[in-house]
Amino acid sequence: MSLARTFWLSVVFVLLIVLHFTLRPVLAWRAPIDFLVIALLLVAVRTRPGTAALAGFALGLLVDALTPESFGAGALAMTIVGFGASWLKAAFFADNIALNGIFIFAGKWAFDTIFLVAEHRLQGTDLLVQLLLWSPLAAAGTAVAGLVVLLTVRPVLGAPRS
Amino acid sequence: MRRPARTNPTVDLVLAAACAIAAFVCLILPAGARSGAAAALRTTLVAPLASMQSNAELSRRAFLSHDTALRVVDSITLRSQRLTGVEEENERLRKLLGLASALKWGFVPAEALQGRGLGDDFTVTLSAGKSAGVVPLSPVVTAEGLVGEVERVDKSLSLAIYWPHPDFRVSAMAADGSAFGIVTGHRAEGASKYFLELHSVPLRSILKAGTLIVSSGLGGVYPRGIPIGVVVSEMKTAEGFAKSYLVRPMVSLPNISSVFILTPERGRSGLENIWNTGVNADSVRKVLVAAGDSARPRADSTVKRPVPAPAPAVKKSP
Repeated sequence: MSLARTFWLSVVFVLLIVLHFTLRPVLAWRAPIDFLVIALLLVAVRTRPGTAALAGFALGLLVDALTPESFGAGALAMTIVGFGASWLKAAFFADNIALNGIFIFAGKWAFDTIFLVAEHRLQGTDLLVQLLLWSPLAAAGTAVAGLVVLLTVRPVLGAPRS
Repeated sequence: MRRPARTNPTVDLVLAAACAIAAFVCLILPAGARSGAAAALRTTLVAPLASMQSNAELSRRAFLSHDTALRVVDSITLRSQRLTGVEEENERLRKLLGLASALKWGFVPAEALQGRGLGDDFTVTLSAGKSAGVVPLSPVVTAEGLVGEVERVDKSLSLAIYWPHPDFRVSAMAADGSAFGIVTGHRAEGASKYFLELHSVPLRSILKAGTLIVSSGLGGVYPRGIPIGVVVSEMKTAEGFAKSYLVRPMVSLPNISSVFILTPERGRSGLENIWNTGVNADSVRKVLVAAGDSARPRADSTVKRPVPAPAPAVKKSP
């Protein structure tokens, strides 16, 4: 990846992080858009799995810093999602909107699942409702927002690493 | 699409494993250590982001509460406007209470029921009638001064005329007793009709602007000492034997809400010290006597001066 693209990727990455801490609280939806997952997947499909895992770990710590009760759960979930997304990106490299949407949807849902299981806060029915209702809804919203971001930044960042 | 070439998968795996282990360690740390680590992040790296999130949430709350806040502000504004009216009314009632304590007896409190109809601006219905002891020709007063007089009396209501009414007449004098005359409504158009005129003032009596005019007590309807108004300026009239003055009334008609109707007995007992107008019966008597003396033609005088008309007993016939 060229230096210019690395620069623009960093800019978009930071912008998405800022959006996560500004736009998301303003919207305050019950199934919120996760801009950190979008940022992670954007980086993951353009970097090596190790780098993606590191980025995931860093993003996860950002989340965990604001939720001390589940400190570490976000880092673990983001690490796994980043690493896995980078490994799996070959399957979604096609410039297909539906496939990219599914990729983001799955990434967000996987993050929620790992996070909720790791933090041990929700159990039983509450956990099932969160995993089977609100997490898919949040994942769908994140997928739509992620597609918008992908289509927007594609001219700047180019196609994912192949 | 072809799969990307991986130069060194082991490095990736090691990195990922290290991150995962670090995250797991964070997860199993004691609560105190986790809180400490989270706090350290919050106060350093995450501080700007936490601040942005806090501001965003505040913005959202402000946005959501805007309409509510607007309604609250409107309500407060409305109440404060009402409060101004209540304060004014309170002030009026306080003054009226002061008047009541000064009068002590011989008055009937009443409410002025405004808005009787178009073209009837100078009459008012009062909420006290014959059953409360009100009789026709009773003076109607407020804490500021004279309002008018009762014209007709029903069992529970009475009808009074204000001072701008064409039938209104009151024998008046300067508060220091230096001049006497008759006060009527000012015959003019527009806002000027809410002034009064002091007629039949002897030519030798000069009243300065600001001189207080009170009822003189002559004529038996209005007791002496009720403030009527203050002199604004002298009026130019065709009368050659007396002066006329424009008088600003003490009582503003729109502010009238509660009034006192004086009983005839109270009027006869005197009101000189009620409004603190400085009217003294003796001094007034002296001035009247002096006016009578000066009205007599002097033997050594070759100039026939116009005889000032004594303040007549003014009251329209009931």
